[in-house]
Amino acid sequence: MQHSSCRLALSLRLAALALPLALPALAQAPRDSVVVCQTLEPPILDPAGGAAAAIREVTYDNVFETLLAFNAEGRIEPRLAEKIESSADGLIHTITLRSGVTFHDGAALTAEDVKFSFERAMAPDSKNSQKWIFAPIDRIEARDTRTVIITLKSYVGDFLDGLAWADATIFSAKSADKAATEPVGTGPYQLVRWNRGDRLVLKRNENYWGRKPAIANATFRFISDPQAQVAALTAGDCDAHTNLSAPEAVPQLRANPNLRVSIGRTEGETIVAMNNGKAPFNNPKVREAISKAIDRAQVNEGAISGFGTLIGTHFSPNHPAYVDLTGAVKHDPAAAKKLLAEAGYPNGFSVTLRLPPPAYAQRGGEIVAAMLGQVGIKVSIEPVQWAQWLERVFRQRDYDLTIIAHVEPLDINIYARDGYYFGYVSEAVKAAVARTKSAKTEAERIAAYQEAQRLITADHVNVYLFMLPKITVSRAGLKGMWNNWPVPANPLAQLSWE
Amino acid sequence: MIGRALRHPSFVLGLAITLLVLGVAFLATFWTPHDATAMRISARLRPPSATNWLGTDQFGRDVLSMLMMGARNALLVGVVAVGIGLSIGVALGMMAATREGSLADEAIMRLCDFTFAFPAVLTAILILTFLGPGLVNAILAIGIFNIPVFARIARGASLQVMARDYIRAAQAAGRSTFGILHRHVLPNIRGILIVQASVQFALAILAEAGLSYLGIGTQPPNPSWGRMLNDSQTFLAQAPYLAIFPGAAIALAVLGFNLLGDGLRDVLDPKSKER
Amino acid sequence: MFAFLARRLATLLTTLAVAAILIFAVTEILPGDPAAAMLGLTATPETVAALRAELGLDAPAFVRFFGWIAGFFTGDLGISYAYRVPVAGLIAERLPVTLPLAIMASLFASILGITLGALAASRANSLVDSALMAGAQVGLAIPNFWFGILMVLLLSITLGWFPAGGFPGWETGFFKGLQALFLPAIALALPQGAVLARLTRTAVLEALGEDFVRTARAKGLTRGQTLRRHVLRNAMVPVITMLALQFSFLITGTIIIENVFALPGLGRLIFQSVGGHDLVTVKSLVMIYVGAVILVNALVDIAYGLIDPRLRFGRGVGR
Repeated sequence: MQHSSCRLALSLRLAALALPLALPALAQAPRDSVVVCQTLEPPILDPAGGAAAAIREVTYDNVFETLLAFNAEGRIEPRLAEKIESSADGLIHTITLRSGVTFHDGAALTAEDVKFSFERAMAPDSKNSQKWIFAPIDRIEARDTRTVIITLKSYVGDFLDGLAWADATIFSAKSADKAATEPVGTGPYQLVRWNRGDRLVLKRNENYWGRKPAIANATFRFISDPQAQVAALTAGDCDAHTNLSAPEAVPQLRANPNLRVSIGRTEGETIVAMNNGKAPFNNPKVREAISKAIDRAQVNEGAISGFGTLIGTHFSPNHPAYVDLTGAVKHDPAAAKKLLAEAGYPNGFSVTLRLPPPAYAQRGGEIVAAMLGQVGIKVSIEPVQWAQWLERVFRQRDYDLTIIAHVEPLDINIYARDGYYFGYVSEAVKAAVARTKSAKTEAERIAAYQEAQRLITADHVNVYLFMLPKITVSRAGLKGMWNNWPVPANPLAQLSWE
Repeated sequence: MIGRALRHPSFVLGLAITLLVLGVAFLATFWTPHDATAMRISARLRPPSATNWLGTDQFGRDVLSMLMMGARNALLVGVVAVGIGLSIGVALGMMAATREGSLADEAIMRLCDFTFAFPAVLTAILILTFLGPGLVNAILAIGIFNIPVFARIARGASLQVMARDYIRAAQAAGRSTFGILHRHVLPNIRGILIVQASVQFALAILAEAGLSYLGIGTQPPNPSWGRMLNDSQTFLAQAPYLAIFPGAAIALAVLGFNLLGDGLRDVLDPKSKER
Repeated sequence: MFAFLARRLATLLTTLAVAAILIFAVTEILPGDPAAAMLGLTATPETVAALRAELGLDAPAFVRFFGWIAGFFTGDLGISYAYRVPVAGLIAERLPVTLPLAIMASLFASILGITLGALAASRANSLVDSALMAGAQVGLAIPNFWFGILMVLLLSITLGWFPAGGFPGWETGFFKGLQALFLPAIALALPQGAVLARLTRTAVLEALGEDFVRTARAKGLTRGQTLRRHVLRNAMVPVITMLALQFSFLITGTIIIENVFALPGLGRLIFQSVGGHDLVTVKSLVMIYVGAVILVNALVDIAYGLIDPRLRFGRGVGR
């Protein structure tokens, strides 16, 4: 992997690489461009028009902004909203917008744009993937150009938190229709061009309302092949990779003096999802058997080199309400076989495991299939592309088992959602989730979250494997890459070269 | 003829390699050093050693055992895909030959021309996407492209044979067309068909490896050489042996069947030595 | 002559038309309602209707068919369902990767194949000949994607001479682009070069046996002079034919090779669109691939017929 100088003459690449090393004096001009590589390419760029995390990874806090926003620590801070005043009953929120904010096309941000964006998200034909954020809204009123008043139907304690999600992005009424391909936002960067399948080029928005970003030209490159990711980093084609898909290459990259590797956290609960609405998974004993047949530590080791944090429920250990349920289900193939026999499947059964493209799913899937095979469940693996996964598994619920990381923060409420792809229905969980919304105090809310965690684990809704790690690699000297992913985002405005 | 065959270097080498692949596949049915699908995550990515002669893969599976099972998989693909091509193709080709110049003949040959115009890999990808990825569908997709190959050869060779006097005599004697094809034509075109089958066998193994490499052929846990290559690419820097052995297995098997085909052609038809 | 050209042209057009109808049928009629197929079963009727209108699916099949065909001339091939941009634009973006790759591979294959084939023929039955032909056999047996991986292992990972994959874009410099395409082109060229080497050897040996060669030698030309001035030129006809026919293998070979090297070309686009059920894109891409293969085959047939009138009444060559 190391270059040696004697091959210089033979290597065109090296000539370019060696120059700044050999002549540091020439490198005095501050570097103001960066190439950030990431695994997945967004299908479109409208964060309110699709569920793909890659849309957020490219646009969140770069091209588009929200009223409130998550920072690197996962705390919510104001962004386009300067001030929010809530009524005593928590039903009326008066939002004052920051002044002097313009869209990339020069139009000024007004309260009408906020009203338009939220109503667009709430419309029956909207493709917004987090409509629950807007569900409590009764009406939205633009009182004057800088004041929006949102009235809720009923009290929802964490309503405002939802406004920090990419799904609550503020568009301009003029350009929202084209957001999928020609995004016009208020963010610190604007789109220059998008070579599909390859890269997306952004430039600094010189009229940005906030602090001027250090990086003038930023490029996102999309490299899905794990080996190519490592090669691109080593060769200097990428200044950073947001989340490396080759965990086994970490020791090799750590040994490289030009690169920094950080193993951070995401909010990605990685689960083996089971179609609870369908036989045999509608039988809790079968689900328990599957949970017991799977050795999570081994899946963690084999799929992501052990960099994940084991979990026992659908909740992030980073959150104060987390309950450690990792010991609740122990790996016990004998007990699993017994449970299957009790459920009426002494000889097991055959199921299909649909796997989306990421390495954690593909590799984890092979291991899970082998482990289930040991207790008599015959698993046939079917790899699917993202579009197919979203269509068949997520929308049509046409699946038996799948492996997926749920990267949204605090998303245990999906277990209370009717028609969600788990096919799980529990009045107790619905009640607990409702209480997380209606809770008046933090202690009440935490208690409700904890009850929901215990309930879904006791019901063995899914097999909870691990929290997906974020393996961030950056070139020495590049500062400001997020080491953790409280939400999938790579705010470029925070990057700078030393 | 056997004596001539055994003095022909390509034939002998091809036969030896083919027998080796067959032998390994046969052996794998009863015995492999380890269970080819058993994972030992704690022993993942181990380089070749005394316990695992060719090392272990990313799940701690024994590479040698997987390669041996992969040989069975490759042969299965070859046998069935070529079988489909031979049975349907030869039937179509001989039928076309008996009705030379008829509408049926023209239709069959035009269909063959047409199939050749469709890039095989591309069409196989399309078929596998609509039918779903998997070994059976991959074999079908490969088999379909063997049909026109054999149809053409069978037609051409049958026409040559049928121009001979004794066939005319048999026809005059009132033998049925099927009888003539079965008793006189088929035995005479068998050689050329066997030669082509050997070549197509090699191509089928290559095609399955390519489709499995793309992830739409054989699915895990069934060991497939192409699939192993696909997996190996991720670990190229850490475990290069994972990329070397399965590819070498594909190349060896293909080489064996190609040499066998070349050798057979020379032995069965010494005049066409150079083509 | 004119009749020959007219007949070939008619065959070409019929083949293209049948191919287009078949592709259209598979992508637009077989799935039932393509809009529903793309959106999934749980899509609301309004969304399906909106997409139907967007894709122009409410028109009768033959109107859509001719609209699609006309699109190849007007450049309007519809909007990609997955990417939400014009398909023609997507193709135009990817072509600058795939086309140079295919051309480079053809070039490498012909240089490799013709040189080594001629060398083997000029030393027929010598040790060099045997070694070269054994090498060609091995070249034929090596899967191009494995060869690609091996080159990455040696030249990229171990030696660091070439990028392991990806394409920096032509705008980063002509040489950087060429460098990224070099290994994939070599990988594609190897098996084709092996085929060409075998064919060239045979063709040269056949030409060496012809009368004019003996005449040339009798006139006092050296063996090398004869080979260069007379033999190669005559042997080139079948070789060039084969080279053109191999274009179809090359162009489909790019589908696999672009995946090995993560190149953003047409091959990867088609693989991704097929996987993503983006039927709008798949339809036109497949037509372009199939059309290119049919066209090249027809051109070879015509060229061959013009060079060698005896073949004008046959079924074509190289089959």
